[in-house]
Amino acid sequence: MSTPYLKQDSALPYCKGCSHSIVLRALGDALEKLQIPPAELAIVTDIGCVGLADAQFATPHTVHTTHGRSTAFAGGLSLADSVLGEGKLKPIVLIGDGGAMIGLNHLVNAALLNLDVTVLVHNNFLFGMTGGQNSAFTPLDFVTSTTQAGNTTPPLELALCLLAARAPFVARQLATDGNLAEVLAKAISHPGFALVEILELCTAYATRWNSLTGAKLKQVADRCGFQLGILRDERRPRFKDAYREMTAKLRPTVARRVRANFQLGNLPRPIGVILAGTAGERVQTAAGVLAEAAMRSGLHVTLKNDNPVTQGSGFSLSEVILSETEILFTGVEQPDVIIVVSGDGLKELERNCILDQTKHDTLILADEGLTFPDVSCHILQLPLRKIAGANLAALAGVAWWLEVSQIFPLQALRVALEARFGAEAASVKTRLSQLSHAESAAGHGH
Amino acid sequence: MPDASQLELLSGNRMTALGALDAGCRFFSGYPITPSSEIYQTMMEELPAQGGVALAAPDEITALAYCVGASLAGYKAMTATSGPGWGLMVETVQYAVMTETPAVIAVVQRLGPSTGGATQGAQGDVLCTQYFTSGSYTVPVLAPSNSHECYELTQAAFYWSERLRTPVIVLSDKEVGMTSESVNSDSLRRWPVVERKPFSKSAKFFRTYACDCLEEPPAFSAVGGRARVAATGSAHDQEGRLRKNSPEVLELLIHLQTKIDAHADEISLIDEEPCENADLLILSYGISVRAARAAVRQLRAQGRRVSFLQIKSLFPVPKKEVVRAAAGCKRVYVVEENLTGQYASVLEPIVGSERLVRVNGIGHMITPGEILEPVDAT
Repeated sequence: MSTPYLKQDSALPYCKGCSHSIVLRALGDALEKLQIPPAELAIVTDIGCVGLADAQFATPHTVHTTHGRSTAFAGGLSLADSVLGEGKLKPIVLIGDGGAMIGLNHLVNAALLNLDVTVLVHNNFLFGMTGGQNSAFTPLDFVTSTTQAGNTTPPLELALCLLAARAPFVARQLATDGNLAEVLAKAISHPGFALVEILELCTAYATRWNSLTGAKLKQVADRCGFQLGILRDERRPRFKDAYREMTAKLRPTVARRVRANFQLGNLPRPIGVILAGTAGERVQTAAGVLAEAAMRSGLHVTLKNDNPVTQGSGFSLSEVILSETEILFTGVEQPDVIIVVSGDGLKELERNCILDQTKHDTLILADEGLTFPDVSCHILQLPLRKIAGANLAALAGVAWWLEVSQIFPLQALRVALEARFGAEAASVKTRLSQLSHAESAAGHGH
Repeated sequence: MPDASQLELLSGNRMTALGALDAGCRFFSGYPITPSSEIYQTMMEELPAQGGVALAAPDEITALAYCVGASLAGYKAMTATSGPGWGLMVETVQYAVMTETPAVIAVVQRLGPSTGGATQGAQGDVLCTQYFTSGSYTVPVLAPSNSHECYELTQAAFYWSERLRTPVIVLSDKEVGMTSESVNSDSLRRWPVVERKPFSKSAKFFRTYACDCLEEPPAFSAVGGRARVAATGSAHDQEGRLRKNSPEVLELLIHLQTKIDAHADEISLIDEEPCENADLLILSYGISVRAARAAVRQLRAQGRRVSFLQIKSLFPVPKKEVVRAAAGCKRVYVVEENLTGQYASVLEPIVGSERLVRVNGIGHMITPGEILEPVDAT
């Protein structure tokens, strides 16, 4: 005969008549009945009188956690074991009504995911260990140390919450139920998330201040409108089942490595390029292509993007630094080139005072449709949006500037475009080359 | 100029995730928060494809609790967040400290307090990621200043987390995390993948927190393994039992500090550009290192004798390195992007307040010019 799950020689630490003792023994009986190998059990205890239970176990693993979080720790154990390990570990959470409210979101989350965890909520209607204060589970009119005139806040209907959270097994029992061990065994052997709320007697406070006895527990349940018994016993796929299926189809991402094999052009000192436009119009793509093209030409590169906290609308800004040597400070204090292709971009440059930070030889390359305030540097306006379209205007600006500045070969840009755009690359290149022709036909801008 | 080797444009955040994957991280749970979300996203995309577990948590408390649970089951685990999420995680990190459970937490700082500026960098959580336990137990904190270091220091974080059975924080910020730069993977320093010292005797002799030597962590056995584990966040004896004020319990509390102190020299990670007979030292960590290095170059070009020290392991404080680098210097400039000079306050007793000059700022990266100014004024 194997070692009992519970210590046989240990005096339980509970008050005389406290129903935690009954529940603990029922749990022991349930485990004896199920004969789960102790190494496959983790008794995860929360804070409170219920949290003294782990010291009473002889053979299963025990994990005593923080208040309300026991279900989350149990969830982590189960997730790891079920996907990475043998999938045999069954955490059983022992939690009070205090922990259940603090950790309500953990109960709901575990139920929605259908983690293989059993939660036993020891609901004695108040916080026992700390002196009998009211909890979210205190019935109306109940006297506690903090509701001495009688509680006026209705209690939480926990079972209904968990049914709504799609828990496949939900039960509510009285600690005094003759079949408690049987229900606990059912819950524990349920494959997936199972919760049993057990209505209990705290003899230090609840029974003393309210006329509450074992015989009267059912009346409390009735007055609260709490249904007793197994409220749901169904099956649904567990997290690990869906996870295995999903991950079987995944492949790791291939690294986007480039070879630095183009000749360097002309870069005597580091330069800072700012691209400004509208969110969703591929400004950041243009910056990325510029960066990758520069890398192919053996330059060091840093790249930063900025946009409003609302991701999809407003401005889009990118800062690219190109350098022959290692880049230290990643701020562009005085940009060498600003490519601005929309009103949103221009507004942000003004708001951010970037236009005030230009130097006399900064080049501003802008779409012809924009109107600028006074700046000390040269502004060149081209029909970027008209020729290349809204989504390629920034890239067109980059291509035009590269052709003129000869920082590095245009061919590096073409290769970077191919790598980024794939099948689309040919049409992108055509659009960009149209700008070059149009601009030479029209002559330089203002 | 880099040679024709393979390069990749990689952000600090992505490198943090890649460093974790290569360190053997098998479990990640996270909640998105600017500016760290890319770490979470990368792990969600890459970890399952490598056979690990990555999943969304409904909040940061759950995220870290899932990681600690997975770690108790024997797996290397990580989460990532920023200041507001760190605030939620503090209780659970304390639990990891007390239970001697490894976990790596990437904190990508942003401007605070509170919601602050989600898209604005800062270095304002330094003291918050150190003095957060009741009792101020030292937790290793590593601070990368660029994409390469995000990879390397995340690897180092897993190494020390598993080696000493402690949570370890990788403390970057928005600028380091969200700036992409050209990275040559061949030049990355990779750390060896280390396993927790396992309990290898007969299961019946296992005691969860048995420590023959207070300077080493207890031998580990997984929850779910053959040896019965009694993990607890309560002050405990070697069996894992709550025993108020017993000498054994107090000894184990002291052990939580001793095991870190005993390895402080090994944990120490710095980089430096020393100058012979320097009369000035510029010292920095994280994003501010980049401006500091630029300032040092400019000062040397002006003929100043200035040394530079980068602190990569903020805690435990690399006292010996700081003392050595500051020897003979009239002034020590501590450059950091927070209002009060948080790390400066840690270094003050070591360096001496007469010598220490704070170079601080908030709401923008400290520029090389802002470092040159006080130095020129000396």
